[in-house]
Amino acid sequence: MRRRALIAIAAAVVLLIAIALSLAIGSRVIDASTVWDAVVSFDDTDPEQLIVRELRASRTLIGLLAGAALGVAGALMQALTRNPFADPGLLGINAGASLAVVLALTTGLATSFAMQVPIAFVGAGVAALIVYAIGARGAAAGAPVRLALAGVALTALIQSLVYAVLLVDDATLEQYRLWVAGSLTGRDASDVMMLVPIVVVAIVAALIASRQLEAVALGEDAARALGVRIGLIRTVVIVIVTLLAAAATAAAGPIIFVGLAVPHVARALVGASLPWLVAVSALGGAALVLVCDVIGRVVAPPSEIGVGITTAFIGGLIFALMARRMKVVEL
Amino acid sequence: MKILRIGPLGITTHRRTFIAGLALLAVLAGLMLVALTAGQSGYSMLDAIRASVGATSDSPADFIVGQVRAPRMLTAVLVGAMLGLSGAILQSLTRNPLASPDFIGITMGAGTGAVLTLWLIGAASLWVTAAGAVAGALITAALILALSWLRRGIVPLRLILAGIGIGFVAQATTQYLLTRMDVHDAQNALGWLVGTTTGRTWTHVSVAALCCAVLVPLVLWNARALRTMEMGEDAARALGIRVGASRGVLAVCSVLLAAAAVAVCGPIGFIALVAPALALRVTRNAGATLIPSALMGATLLLAADQVSQQMPATLQFPVGVFTAAIGAPYLLWLVWRASRGGPA
Repeated sequence: MRRRALIAIAAAVVLLIAIALSLAIGSRVIDASTVWDAVVSFDDTDPEQLIVRELRASRTLIGLLAGAALGVAGALMQALTRNPFADPGLLGINAGASLAVVLALTTGLATSFAMQVPIAFVGAGVAALIVYAIGARGAAAGAPVRLALAGVALTALIQSLVYAVLLVDDATLEQYRLWVAGSLTGRDASDVMMLVPIVVVAIVAALIASRQLEAVALGEDAARALGVRIGLIRTVVIVIVTLLAAAATAAAGPIIFVGLAVPHVARALVGASLPWLVAVSALGGAALVLVCDVIGRVVAPPSEIGVGITTAFIGGLIFALMARRMKVVEL
Repeated sequence: MKILRIGPLGITTHRRTFIAGLALLAVLAGLMLVALTAGQSGYSMLDAIRASVGATSDSPADFIVGQVRAPRMLTAVLVGAMLGLSGAILQSLTRNPLASPDFIGITMGAGTGAVLTLWLIGAASLWVTAAGAVAGALITAALILALSWLRRGIVPLRLILAGIGIGFVAQATTQYLLTRMDVHDAQNALGWLVGTTTGRTWTHVSVAALCCAVLVPLVLWNARALRTMEMGEDAARALGIRVGASRGVLAVCSVLLAAAAVAVCGPIGFIALVAPALALRVTRNAGATLIPSALMGATLLLAADQVSQQMPATLQFPVGVFTAAIGAPYLLWLVWRASRGGPA
């Protein structure tokens, strides 16, 4: 218990450092004291303080939201499917959200960000149901790989559909480029503020549900003996995952692997206790996305690369190394 | 029942396989004729064939058929055949119907190599880009092998997982390179990364033909070894097959075939996955069917290309969109069946 609390505190400290880096580092060099002033005693006549306050702060907020949401969604998915490769990005749930938004854009349904968010939820939910129905059933042997492959296939299918729509409709392509850049810069801060309550509520719900989900992970019989309503808890968890994945995609575009890598590291640190895992994954996910975004700002001056590219690069390596350590199961 | 043996290549085949192969060949030939004659400007078959070999004095026919339709058609046939063959080898070596160069990262690696050469050297010539694609694919394959290699050798499943991971790394690298290029080069690279058969010239045909001419005989030379190894390594050794050497040659050939296909048309998905499976179904063979897989790949890609050309003007997509629309549901069905305890 004490060890876990210490690790959670350490994760929070790492997150604070990541937030500080995200505010301080960018293509324009701004010294630390100016950044500090912008945070504590804001002077709106100083252009450098304005950059920190207007651009970097909103960017940091979006990264925080998306990272925490993806970390928690990944931790829940892995517990729900008992599958180490479960990740909302890898499984095509984020892609489902993108397709729904593209279809809504092209039919003229989604004129504002406030309209796009619920549509993204619907798309993410449909994709989650499909991939869960196809890949998450059956005996343990080979199931992890099946789920990963089902996700890859679903993502490929959805991407080709998205692509088909975009090629026909230039106007949608223009909006889509802003919507799904896999970057933290495409959204208005005021738009993203409406996602804050959704993500906060979903993470709190995840913390509450995680105790019961933990019992389900022990096996269905054990869970029933403990008085857990299995069907209900599964449904609740899928809804939470969908909300989080769609909110993250709405905020930052499809980001892959954060939901995969963060819970793995968290599990190595705090063990299998799901409530702690969810908490540490939220902190760690936010920290990872912010750090990846900072890397993307400095690695290719004068241009920047989207956080989606950085996370795919780092996450892909982690995934390949995980495959190396995995026990041999045959499909 | 073995009825066919062509000299040193030692192709032995069953009657059913032979007939199915002939039928596929007939369908493919028919599609090739359709590809030459169909379109806005109608030409009779004879004129079209004459124009495609350059034996015509009619200059619009020489341009439309000889410089547009014929190279596009031949590119689709050769690339489809290379993809089908590449997938058939990989699926037999890993003994897994889900293995396909576009899922285990080879195709993405080839794409990264090609984009890297476009960035460093520019779009100087297709041969340079092709060399880049081949180098990228080989490096990726070596990386995947190194990651999935353990003391007891390669575990197919681990190979697939490592491939998915490395594929994402390669894709991210490609996207990073695209942001570093100047706009003109990036536009070039993007157009190519879509995976398309439009605008292919006789240069594309000659790159594809050269790769086929080198690799296909090498694969067929090892076809018997491949089929024997499917019975198990020990049995293959007992029958005098040098398992390690044959496997190495075949794996390299599979990677190179996929890389050549990417170099010519960009990454066209799902043909390498679907063609061998359909070939197995048509021939009702138990193991790898290399030539039918290649024929099936060529037929599928050419058919998809024809469909993409005949769509109304508002729905003109690159052929990759159509192959994904067919292939992805098939892959989902495979996974779904496997999770119901059926044969994977």
